[in-house]
Amino acid sequence: MAMWEFLKHHRLEITTLTVEHLWLVAASMGIAVLVGVPAGILLTRKPQLREPVIGGANIIETIPSLALFGFLLPAPWLGARADRIAITALALYALLPIVRNTYVGITGVDPGVREAARGMGLTSRQMLWQVELPLSMSVILAGIRTATVLSIGIATIAAAIGAGGLGEFIFRGLAMVNNSLILAGAIPAAILALAADLCLGWLEARLRPPRT
Amino acid sequence: MGEPAIAFRGVSYRAQGRVLLGPLELEVRSGETLVLLGRSGSGKTTALKLINRLLEESEGTVLVDGRPTRDWDVITLRRRIGYVIQETGLFPHYTVERNVGLVPKLLGRPQAEIQQRIDSMLRLVGLEPKEFRLRYPHQLSGGQRQRVGVARALAGDPEILLMDEPFGALDPLSRVELQQQFLNIQKRVQKTTVLVTHDVGEALLLANRIALLEGGKLLGVYTQSEFRESSDATLAAYRAAWSGNLQLPGRNDGHVGIS
Repeated sequence: MAMWEFLKHHRLEITTLTVEHLWLVAASMGIAVLVGVPAGILLTRKPQLREPVIGGANIIETIPSLALFGFLLPAPWLGARADRIAITALALYALLPIVRNTYVGITGVDPGVREAARGMGLTSRQMLWQVELPLSMSVILAGIRTATVLSIGIATIAAAIGAGGLGEFIFRGLAMVNNSLILAGAIPAAILALAADLCLGWLEARLRPPRT
Repeated sequence: MGEPAIAFRGVSYRAQGRVLLGPLELEVRSGETLVLLGRSGSGKTTALKLINRLLEESEGTVLVDGRPTRDWDVITLRRRIGYVIQETGLFPHYTVERNVGLVPKLLGRPQAEIQQRIDSMLRLVGLEPKEFRLRYPHQLSGGQRQRVGVARALAGDPEILLMDEPFGALDPLSRVELQQQFLNIQKRVQKTTVLVTHDVGEALLLANRIALLEGGKLLGVYTQSEFRESSDATLAAYRAAWSGNLQLPGRNDGHVGIS
């Protein structure tokens, strides 16, 4: 009951922080998609880049998030604002699943379809837009879905550098040893993650090409 | 006899240091159906793919309409050549009409003409446009998919048709049906056709001439009667294997007798 009262009292703040949280995730995902999908496509055209690029993205993934936020602090322009740092770090984390899934999705297109398309005289660009991207869209989206859910979780840590978001409650709750505060951050974050997972999962299923 | 539609002049193809085909001297006459016959690994599919430059020859020259394929713009070359493969290669996310209309669209034909072309091509392969236009490939049987594959290959009105084991994945009945239909279509459209198969019966049914390949080498090019009557030991072996299939009890692989 006390929890309910708490949520009621703080609904305005919860809403504000949720919007902040969504902004961090949406902005970082936007950047990650804009960079990650073309990078994944590039890897299918230049396989020799696969090892260094996927390897690099893997290394980023192994850096603890708090440390990555810290590393970015002294960076010029980026370091001037906490949300810039948070968005950059989240976008970096999101890159691996997006690049990898784009590459796997495109290279996984049925070789028969690919060969027929080449044989019919599709240019490389037509092949990409008419065959490869539509047929790999669900796999690419699965990568975006993983990255989004991951980002919603990691974004709570952005509060540690003052970037806002639902992590504010969690860090405050930890400092004050107040479970209600922690839950006020954790519950909306979990709901956001579940909602994103469901929506993107639904979209992914819709875009899955029929098997012949 | 005019200039051959397709010619291989001293063509060989190597991959990873191994010669997979050649040297090959072969001509395909305009309007004929030439069957490339041979067992797996004989180089027949390689030879086929050299025509539309899905592969490029290591030596020699492949000529299409008297012009080396290397000198053609590859996209233009491929759009002049219909291509049918065993797995059909239909785009699973496109309806039948979009699949069939793809090449005319790429060629920039007007929409009304494309629509007309889709209908006439579907009728040509025995599919009622009203019923099939809006279906997706996964809503078709194997035989119907292969028919759509043929319709798609012919939709751009290519001068040449390349078919790689086009009926290989079908059940025996559909295969015989499609082979017969192919003969009827070919009578009407008279495309220069190169068809790859390892099925002697199919070769004898569909070919004007049969080019026999073994281990990447051309053993010879034969007319129907030459192939049937030659005393050459290899040809005799092929014929025996084919008729042997016919006699094997309980074997149901669709090889039918051609009288």
